Amino acid sequence: MENLVKEIQNMFSDHADFFMEKEIKDSTPIYLMGFNTLIDLTKSKLYVRQIAGTSASVQELFINLSDQLEIDSEQIIHALLKGKLVIVSEKDERNAIVDPISRNLTRSIAEPLSESPLLSSVDAFGEDIDTNIGLIRKRLNTERLYHGSFEIGEFESRKLSMLYIKGKAPDALIGEIKRQINQIDTDIDTVEDLNKYFGERRFSIVSHVFQTELPNEATHFLKKNRVVLFLDNYPFALVFPQTLMDMFNVSSDRNYPTVIAYVIRTLRAIGAIVNVLLPALYVSVVSVNPEALKIDLALFVSESRQGIPFPALVETITMVVLVDLTLEAIVRLPKSVGPTITMVGGIILGQAMVEAKLVSPLLVIVITAIVISGSVVSGIQNSLYIRLLRYPILILASIFGLLGMFIGFLFILVYLASLKSNGIPYTTFHINRKGDAK
Amino acid sequence: MIQKLQIGFIFIIMYVSLNHLFYPDLILQLTNYGHWGVVFCQGLLQLFLIWIYIKGLSYFPQQDVIDICLKIGKPIAFILLIPFVISLTVLVTINNRLHTDVIISIFLPRTPSWPVLVLLFFITTYIALTGLGTILRASFFIFFMVIPLLLMITFTSFINIDWYNAAPIRPPSINFLIEKNFFYLMGYSAFLPLGFMVYKTALTFRSIFLAWMCVMFFSLSSVYIPLLIFGQESAISLTFSMVRAIYTVDVDWFFLNKQSMFLGLSLIGFTVILNAVLLWVIGRIMQKLLRWIKVEISYWIIAFSVVAFLGALMVPSLAWTERIFFWSVGAQVFFMIIIPLTIYIYGFIIKRRTAFYEEG
Repeated sequence: MENLVKEIQNMFSDHADFFMEKEIKDSTPIYLMGFNTLIDLTKSKLYVRQIAGTSASVQELFINLSDQLEIDSEQIIHALLKGKLVIVSEKDERNAIVDPISRNLTRSIAEPLSESPLLSSVDAFGEDIDTNIGLIRKRLNTERLYHGSFEIGEFESRKLSMLYIKGKAPDALIGEIKRQINQIDTDIDTVEDLNKYFGERRFSIVSHVFQTELPNEATHFLKKNRVVLFLDNYPFALVFPQTLMDMFNVSSDRNYPTVIAYVIRTLRAIGAIVNVLLPALYVSVVSVNPEALKIDLALFVSESRQGIPFPALVETITMVVLVDLTLEAIVRLPKSVGPTITMVGGIILGQAMVEAKLVSPLLVIVITAIVISGSVVSGIQNSLYIRLLRYPILILASIFGLLGMFIGFLFILVYLASLKSNGIPYTTFHINRKGDAK
Repeated sequence: MIQKLQIGFIFIIMYVSLNHLFYPDLILQLTNYGHWGVVFCQGLLQLFLIWIYIKGLSYFPQQDVIDICLKIGKPIAFILLIPFVISLTVLVTINNRLHTDVIISIFLPRTPSWPVLVLLFFITTYIALTGLGTILRASFFIFFMVIPLLLMITFTSFINIDWYNAAPIRPPSINFLIEKNFFYLMGYSAFLPLGFMVYKTALTFRSIFLAWMCVMFFSLSSVYIPLLIFGQESAISLTFSMVRAIYTVDVDWFFLNKQSMFLGLSLIGFTVILNAVLLWVIGRIMQKLLRWIKVEISYWIIAFSVVAFLGALMVPSLAWTERIFFWSVGAQVFFMIIIPLTIYIYGFIIKRRTAFYEEG
């Protein structure tokens, strides 16, 4: 056993947080090993001593502490890395893996940070994968809920859980996802890493999975024949596959009367369309097709642009980029600095630029409208990709006017219609049980 | 269910796309009053052909027109389908050119036609390349985007309408039924590509019939709007009478100057889908017929799309465009009669023969 202790000591000699404490029980030295960043050492030692006090012999102590005895060295190392306490006796060849009192490294269930549900429960997923699945099980206590666990990764072994309701999610889809997960041979650090294994969409701006922080939403998706994936240490449920309608539908909408729910969803759809088309519309009616407007309206538009030195495209792109920068800055900055950016950005973008005659007041209204309308859709990544879609349409509109705007929109519709995840089209309205959803 | 809907939508889109430019002009030339009779008889004639087509296709489940033609015999398939491909290419060419000219006259009067042609070329090729599934799904969205525009045009045109122009309502006689132009009008229908989609979903007469009723509404409105606005005497002397009729409509409270903008947009929306479907059909025929060359469908689509684009660039004037368009529509009429009849008769013979063997 001396060898085992030495072997472990050598292996972890570079790890400053690795501890090896010597204790004496019945004049037999035993070693306690582990990482003090994962284990609460003082409390764990107290616990071992207490058990030792009630045990008659070293052997009894080992049996009382653990049911994992006499483990080979490879598994011991694995257990140490997972945050377990390993006890090895010096004389005879005995060892045990003990569940220690761990340091609390996960936050408790908190309110959602990236979504703000109305008329819905306000708990959110956290980093711990078991807690997250517990949150789902609490809501969906049926024996038909399937939970498959996978260990993936090259250097780290990261837990990935797959949940679906048996008999609801299409069989072909489940089989295909399991095959894809088993193919994973690199570390999965981000959702995009995971996306790469879900089929041919390397440079697509639309992700295969929809991310949500709310257990309510995830449960709802499970009932809608989807598959939900959880990554350890990632506080979001990954709903597979994502469809276009996820952008407009939020499950808590259904706490409103049906008519109101539909009105809200329509508003979100209008918001997305306005966000994509409005800057292009401004550019095309100002620079290419002013004759499309009624004469007094056209005069008003041209009057508001009097004295502005830039062409409409430059003016609009500058403002749109500035606004996107502001949004990005506010997200990145700490909460204490964020409001300053908002205020400075608001004053400079809105007031000073108009007064300096760099942009027209009409454009400021357009920009305000797109900032507001871009935020109505559900899911952060969705609002980001919608923001990105604006630019190609803007450029087409600056060349071809209304025609370019319309054709750009057609392009986007066809592009979205051409996306598929494992055979399920992105623009589908409903995922059938048997899988061949159209 | 949704697939049937999509087939219905694409049927309407293709019909309406062809219908809006020359169809009303031809109808107005065919009779002096009671135009609805001509439109209706024309519609019934087309419905009859569609019925034969669907009946013929139903003898061969899960097989499209190319498979059936190859079954009859390779030479027959070549004789029938290669000229069909050529006529479709010409149709795509002229469609692009014609719509480019109309679009330019509505939106971009100072722009030369080639940039618009390039734009149309890119979007139609892209849509065709994405495949039938995407075309069907995209048509669903485009339908709901464009049909409201068309309905808006139809209803706002009531402002300029004089109902007396429709009188007398009764058709003068049924002599138009034997006129050459009456059969010629059949070229303004686009049901043939449906026969190439059947491997994806089965065609049912019922869903097509509902779509046909919708098409009849738009056909009637495209004939009656210019007629009611200008009157028979003036309307007959105009080319693109529907477009010109919409030009005259100006709604006071609306923020846009002319409703013709909407017409232009809906024409683009429909034309790109029509052309994409035609290109896809061309690609599929070429790939299946010339199987030994082992070229992917996308290369065929790109090749024919480039040919169509160059052809559209080279057409010298609108007068030429019109002339070639009439020829290609004439060729369409030929195929519209020949292909359904061939399939129906062959299917019928095969069915009789198997029944005979089973008996004997």
